[in-house]
Amino acid sequence: MINKRDEIIKKLDSIQSIPATVSKIYKLLKQRDELDFKELVRMIEYDPALTTNILKYANSAYYGFKYKITSLHQALIRIGMDKIFDIVIAASIGPVLKQSVKGYDLPRGKLWEHSVGVAIGAEQLAKILKINAPGYLFTAGLLIDIGKIVLGSFVDVNAQPIVKLAFEKHIPFDVAERRVLGIDHTEVGAMLLKKWGIPDEIVEVERWHHQPDRFEGDKTVVDLVHAADTLTMIAGVGGYGTDGLNYRPSSEVSTRLGLTRTINEKVIAEIIGNIEKVYEMLTI
Amino acid sequence: MIKTVDISDMKISDNENDILVTYSLGSCVGVTLYDPEENIGSLIHCMLPLSKVDRDKARKNPYMFVDTGLTKMLQEMYDRGAKRKNIVAKLAGGAKLLDKKNIFNVGERNIVVVRKILWKNDILIKGMDVGGSKSRTVRLYMENGKTTVRNKGEENEL
Repeated sequence: MINKRDEIIKKLDSIQSIPATVSKIYKLLKQRDELDFKELVRMIEYDPALTTNILKYANSAYYGFKYKITSLHQALIRIGMDKIFDIVIAASIGPVLKQSVKGYDLPRGKLWEHSVGVAIGAEQLAKILKINAPGYLFTAGLLIDIGKIVLGSFVDVNAQPIVKLAFEKHIPFDVAERRVLGIDHTEVGAMLLKKWGIPDEIVEVERWHHQPDRFEGDKTVVDLVHAADTLTMIAGVGGYGTDGLNYRPSSEVSTRLGLTRTINEKVIAEIIGNIEKVYEMLTI
Repeated sequence: MIKTVDISDMKISDNENDILVTYSLGSCVGVTLYDPEENIGSLIHCMLPLSKVDRDKARKNPYMFVDTGLTKMLQEMYDRGAKRKNIVAKLAGGAKLLDKKNIFNVGERNIVVVRKILWKNDILIKGMDVGGSKSRTVRLYMENGKTTVRNKGEENEL
């Protein structure tokens, strides 16, 4: 008999890949210094929805640009390569994150709402703390719960024993997942992102967002995302599934980032204050 | 009619057919005010305790914060004809994560500020279900002022 962990990992193979144009655009963007700009414009133009979204982003209220831009070329220059990456990811993985997640009892759109909250929270937190965070911070925040889609939707695991263990013994939900399934949503999510060709920096954030102290690389982004996830849960953005508030925030992250009550509350206010604008921006 | 109160929102009613409801109270706090004699009721869903953290946002949406939100809610109740001596308050929410060191104590502070403002206004708190790590849904039934809290499919009267 194969155990649940192996069974879940095996299921990853049957999950659809992200659209081919998207992975081609990733590859182009990854070349960075030798980026073929003309080729990038041509690739994006192939995808009308993506083009619309990039224009919308470039003119979005969230980033507060003054002048309206109508050409794709200008839009790409205005928003910069890192942001294009955000939009490509939002456009390709957004629809996956918007579905309902049966195993976590999340209605359609709720996981996406939470994800957008985390992405905004991480970005706003970096801004308030004056941390010069890498450009993929927003995207890393947006993707943190993709593993819940795998466990709660694609694999459709029986959540009952996990919920029981977590709530009766008051242990964090991700710990309960590991005990019952031999794997948690962060690990399975990281595996899926890796399979989709998402850059390692982002995969690492997904992998360690509930155990940031165990991550051995530069902790800046994982710390910001962990704190933003906590604050989004506190705010109730995206509602609560079966896992509820059953997670343990790391006090080390608070210390490392220098979080204070005022900072935390400011970020919560920013999340709720900006969420509509960002939805609008990310909706094709 | 069912009237949904979003995050940082308040609804008021004097129609006995209405049910006011708010979902997903985590660390946020939900407060119901009800005047049984005038049959006026309201429900608020506040996210943060004090508006001084972001005055600009408090001006745009006073219901985001307990201090500005609850004060405005009381005013709306009086404007509709509710009497201070009749109003009963019930509250729910203020949960937290598994946060032993209490680093993120927004929930607790929300409850403290609610109690302080109600006490200052001489309003009686008749029921509450606060704290812990659970999320809650609150309903105010306008036909009789019944207030319930729901968690994991179980609905209890406050």
